[in-house]
Amino acid sequence: MYIEGDYLDGVTSRRTPVRLEVVYHGECAVRIHVGQYPDEGHHKIELKYNELKIESRIGNTPREIAFGDGQLFVTEDNASVDELVRLHGSSKSPSFIHKLESNLPLIFVAVIASGLMVWATIFYGIPRSAEYIAYQLPSFATEELGGSLAVLDETLFEPSELDETRQAEVRALFAPYLAAHENLKPKLEFRSGMKANAFALPGGEIVFTDDFVRLAQDDKELLAVLFHELGHLKYRHITRRALQDSMVTIMVIFITGDIDTVDFLTGIPTLILDLSYSREFEKEADDFALEQLHHFDIPVDYFATIMQRLENYYVDLESGAVAQKTTVVLDGEITTEEAPADESKSIGDFLTTHPSTDERVKLVEEFKRARGIE
Amino acid sequence: MNDLSPPVAQPESQSDDQPSSRPKSPLGFEFRGDGMEYFKIWIVNILLTILTLGIYSAWATVRNNRYFYSNLYLDDNNFRYLAEPIQILKGRLIAIAALVLFTITSQMAPVIGLGLMLLLLVAIPYFVNQSLAFTNRMSAYKNLQFRFKGSYGEAFMVLYVWPFVGILTLGILYPLALLRLNQYMVRNSSYGTTPFTFDATFGDYGKIFLTMIGAGIVLAIPTWGLVAFVPSLALIAPVMAAAVYFGLIVFFMVKTTNLFYGSLALADHGFDADLQMGGLAKVILINTFLTIITLGLYLPAAKVRMAKYVCSCMVMHANGPLDNFVAAEKENVSALGDEFGQAFDFAV
Repeated sequence: MYIEGDYLDGVTSRRTPVRLEVVYHGECAVRIHVGQYPDEGHHKIELKYNELKIESRIGNTPREIAFGDGQLFVTEDNASVDELVRLHGSSKSPSFIHKLESNLPLIFVAVIASGLMVWATIFYGIPRSAEYIAYQLPSFATEELGGSLAVLDETLFEPSELDETRQAEVRALFAPYLAAHENLKPKLEFRSGMKANAFALPGGEIVFTDDFVRLAQDDKELLAVLFHELGHLKYRHITRRALQDSMVTIMVIFITGDIDTVDFLTGIPTLILDLSYSREFEKEADDFALEQLHHFDIPVDYFATIMQRLENYYVDLESGAVAQKTTVVLDGEITTEEAPADESKSIGDFLTTHPSTDERVKLVEEFKRARGIE
Repeated sequence: MNDLSPPVAQPESQSDDQPSSRPKSPLGFEFRGDGMEYFKIWIVNILLTILTLGIYSAWATVRNNRYFYSNLYLDDNNFRYLAEPIQILKGRLIAIAALVLFTITSQMAPVIGLGLMLLLLVAIPYFVNQSLAFTNRMSAYKNLQFRFKGSYGEAFMVLYVWPFVGILTLGILYPLALLRLNQYMVRNSSYGTTPFTFDATFGDYGKIFLTMIGAGIVLAIPTWGLVAFVPSLALIAPVMAAAVYFGLIVFFMVKTTNLFYGSLALADHGFDADLQMGGLAKVILINTFLTIITLGLYLPAAKVRMAKYVCSCMVMHANGPLDNFVAAEKENVSALGDEFGQAFDFAV
C-alpha cells in the first residue's frame, strides 16, 4: 500500500511530494520514497513502527507522521494512515476519539447528556459543594470573603444620625433575639449614607440604615427584618454566593474556554445564574424570618407589612414610575422592572436579585395557612 | 492574545508601495474548517471533560487548537499545533495549585497574601514571555516552528509602564501603549530563524483613536439632542447608544486588525488584511443571534464562521518562494507560563 503525501526535512520549509510505502513483512514498517528513481537526490527512508509518531486524527485535517529529528510526512489520506496503524500498531482501534466524534447517535446522546450534566452541576453540584465548603471554612476566612464593614465605611456609609435614645431603644429591643442566636456572633450597627436598607455582612455585622429605622412604624417590623438578616448569617449566604459565582465562572471557562470569539456572550449565563442563586437565598432567609417570628409569637404579618412599606417608599422615591412595579431589595440596591402583564412568572423575575414583594406577601399567606394561623 | 489570529505567525506586510525586482504574488489565507465537524469535536470535548472531572480539558484544548491550526491554510499548506496534552495538563495543575494556595493564604494571612500578590505582579512579565514563547513554539507552518524571545524589561514596560503613561496623559499616549505592545509581540517573534518586522507608527494608531472619538461625538450629540427635544424618543435612546457603541467596537476591531497585518512583514514578504465593517458586523450579529437562540450550541460553528471570515480577508504578498526559511535551534518551553496566564487571568 502506498500513501501519497509530502515530506519536510525539519531544517527548511521546503515541501517535497513523496510516496510512503507500507511494508507488510520485513525489518521496517514503512519506506518513504523521496524523488523518482533515475533523478538525482532520490533516496529511501526506512523506518520501524516505533520510530513513527502518528498524530491522532482530527476531522478531515491533514495527518502528520513525525520521525527522526523533526522530519515530517504529511498526507490528506487519513484512511490509509488508519490502515497503517491497524496493521502495525498495538491499538486495534486507531483514532478512538475521532470515532466518538464522527458517531452521530453518540453526538446526539452527548448533547443531551452534557445538557443534563450542566443542569445538574448548576442546580445541585455547585450549590451543594458551596454549602459544604462554606460550613467547613473557619469563621475568619468567611469574613475575608465578603466585603468587610471597614471597607464599606470607607466607601459608602456615613455615621448614623439617629439619636442615642432611639439607637438604645432598638438595641434593647433586639438584644434578646440576638442573644438567642449568639452562635452567629451577630453585631448590630447603625449607619447612614444610603436609602432605607438593611444588610448582613459575613463577619456577623447586621447594618440598619437610619432611613430604614425611621420607615418602620412598629418595632416588630424591624424585628422581622432582623430575622431575615440573621437567616443570611445562619445559612452563610454571602460566602456561598461568592463560592458559587466562582464555580460558575470556572464551569463556563471549561465549556467555552477555547472559544473566545464571542466571549461577551459567556457573561450572560453567569449573570443569570448569579441572580437565580441570589433569589433562592433571599427566599431561604424569608422562610427563616417567618419561622423565627412564629417561634417568638410575633405575628408574621409584620414581615409583609414592612416589605410593602419598603416598596411604597421606593415607589415614592421613583417619582413618575407609576406604571412600573418596584422590587424591594433588602441587602442591595433598588431595581425596577416593567410591570408584567399578568401575575404569572415573567422573564423579569429571572433578572432580579430578589423575589418581588407580591411573592413575599404570598409567602407570608402560605406560611400562615400551613401553620393554621388566623 | 486574540485567538482569531493564529500566533503572531501570520505576518502581514505593507511594503507593497516599494517596487521590487521580483513581482509579489498574493497568497491567500483560507480556513477550511466546517461548523458541524467542529461541533462534534467540541461536544465530545465537553462530555469527556465533565466525565473526567476536568482532567480531559487539557486534551480538549489540544484538539480544539489542532482543529483550528490544521484547517488554516496559507498557499495550500496548513499550520500545525504541536503541544502535547500532558504538557498542558502539568502546567494547568501547577497553576491551579498555585491559585488555590494563593487564595487560601490571602484568606488566612492577608499580609502574606499581599506579599504574594506583589510577587505575582513582578512575575507576570516573565510568565507572559513564557506564554508567548510556548504558543509560538507550538505553532508550525511547513514543519518550521515559530519562536518568541522577549526580554523581561520590555515585557514590563509594555504591560505596566506604557499603559500607565497612557492613563497619566489622559489617553493621549494610549495609542503609543498599543503600538509598543504590538511591536513587542511581533518583533520578538520569528518564523524559524527569520524575524518578523512591524512598521506601524504612533500616528497610525493615533488616527484610529481620533476617528473613534470624533465619530462618537458626531453620533452622540444628535442622539442626545433628539431625545432632549422629543422626550417620547427617550425609549429608543438606549438602543441608539448600543448601536453606536457596537459600531465603534467593530470599527476598532477592523482598523486595528487591518493595521496590524498591514504593518507586519517576514523578511521581504508582506501581509495584508482587508476586514470590512459591514462584513465583520454581519458575522458578529449572526453569531450572537444564533448562539442565543440555540442556548450556546451554535458557539463552535460561530467560531468557525469568524475564522473563515477573517482568513478570507487576509493575504500574504510573497516575494519569491516560501521554501527557504530555516528552522531555529531546539529549545524547551513549558506550558506553565501559558497556564498561569489563564489561571490568574492576565493573558495578553
